[in-house]
Amino acid sequence: MNAVALSKVEKTYYAGQGDVHALGPVSLAIRAGETLAVVGPSGCGKSTLLRIIAGLDDATGGSVRVADREVTAPIPDVGIVFQRDLLLDWRTVIDNVLLPAELQKRIDRPTAVKRAEALLEELGVAEFAKRYPWELSGGMRQRVAIARAMLCKPAMLFLDEPFSALDALTRDQMNVILQGVQAGQGVTTLLITHSIQEAVFLSDRVVVMSGRPGTVLDDIPVHFPRPRRLSLREGPQFVDIARRIRVHFERAGVLVG
Amino acid sequence: MTADLTQATRAASAAKASAQRRAKPAGTIALPLISGIGGLVAWELVVRLMKLPPYLLPAPTHVAQVMVEYWWMLMRQLGFTAFAAVVGFLIALVLGVLAGAAITASRTVDRMLYPWLVISHAIPKVVVAPLFIVWIGFGLTSEIIFVIVFTFFPIVVNTVTGLKSADLDLLTLVRSMGASPLQSLWKIRIPGALPSIFAGIKISATLAPVGAVIGEFVASNQGLGHMLLQAVGSLETPLAFAAVFVISVFGIAIWYLAELVERLSIPWHASQRGTILGA
Repeated sequence: MNAVALSKVEKTYYAGQGDVHALGPVSLAIRAGETLAVVGPSGCGKSTLLRIIAGLDDATGGSVRVADREVTAPIPDVGIVFQRDLLLDWRTVIDNVLLPAELQKRIDRPTAVKRAEALLEELGVAEFAKRYPWELSGGMRQRVAIARAMLCKPAMLFLDEPFSALDALTRDQMNVILQGVQAGQGVTTLLITHSIQEAVFLSDRVVVMSGRPGTVLDDIPVHFPRPRRLSLREGPQFVDIARRIRVHFERAGVLVG
Repeated sequence: MTADLTQATRAASAAKASAQRRAKPAGTIALPLISGIGGLVAWELVVRLMKLPPYLLPAPTHVAQVMVEYWWMLMRQLGFTAFAAVVGFLIALVLGVLAGAAITASRTVDRMLYPWLVISHAIPKVVVAPLFIVWIGFGLTSEIIFVIVFTFFPIVVNTVTGLKSADLDLLTLVRSMGASPLQSLWKIRIPGALPSIFAGIKISATLAPVGAVIGEFVASNQGLGHMLLQAVGSLETPLAFAAVFVISVFGIAIWYLAELVERLSIPWHASQRGTILGA
């Protein structure tokens, strides 16, 4: 069963100095429980695609269906982690995690607090629950953002280049941690990333997009068993898939050499 | 994980060091104290050596003597001035924040009101002070309205600036969580605007005593402003100096009070961060 179905989705920005055709047409589906990674060069419309699916932006053509319903407004059953952690400076870590529960009122506060504490524990930041975000490092802040996205047990998790601002080592750590959280929840995941390794490591399928206007160049299944270890990235199959993706970028002139 | 913890510890240590730097009193208190005492001694010597008459320039010791002598009268007059300043300021605060919210919420209100607010701020308020006597009459009401006129504008402008500069990504985030416009206002826009609103409050807090005193110059028969005018009129310059001193101390106190409220209200803000871990 498809959790998300896109049919000929397009996005054009109408501006004074001429229209910009940013995306599409894109047709693809994400199966329930699947992790789909979308990779592509800067400006190819990856983030726009995520925003359209989440109902945060309107497509100018085609149709978007989530859980068999046409998307016309922000969809409720989704947790989103953006490139910036977007933690609220005036709230402590635990209060930041509790934000969706306060806004959506789908779970009562005691349950939400218990769940928030469990998520912070799982993500390794429980001891900072009463701290303010500015007291945390970038990696820890992003873990809090993940906990916040997962609080209401969403059916879908959307990740918009969530680790791109982190250093390579922290990024690897975050990949392992995220995989653990995903495994516990069985959540359908859409990951937008620039990193080929990250895409292959975390996903069940990688969609490669062309430069603007972004269209689907390739759709590659990734069948490694879970849980995955970082050493997987050194294996020949992993390297083959990464190479297949890289070739698309080399042909497009995004990567040279 | 270890790297994260190290970074967090480092962040905490940096904040603590900054707090310690802030708390270090040696230079920050001693130097102004030395220059202040030096200034007073010089003033005293000039008056004594040049044998200046007290109506022209009283010596600091003379002013202190008059302050002790007239202490209760000065405090009673300060009560009138402080009442007008605080009531006027609080009314301006409520009106200013509400007006700022209305201007931010509605583009029509923004376009209708904001340009006129800016233009009206350019009119020198002291010039229109006598008109308040014509319109409202002599007394406390005029005085309070004068304080409102003085303090309203910085609060409105800073409220509008704060509410309008809400982080668009944060608004998108809460929209993705299904927040209503009211929830966005309450959870994102207002807390995010608080530092800016407090900047306006601190400016207005220092203007409030000025507004009250000028109001007393033209529209009152009580308060420190009125007392100051009378003292100058009867060449009781030491008493005038004592009144100026009390007004100044009151102005400084109200500013520090605003600063304290800010520190307690927005401990998370960058301007206050050093004090959290240092506490």
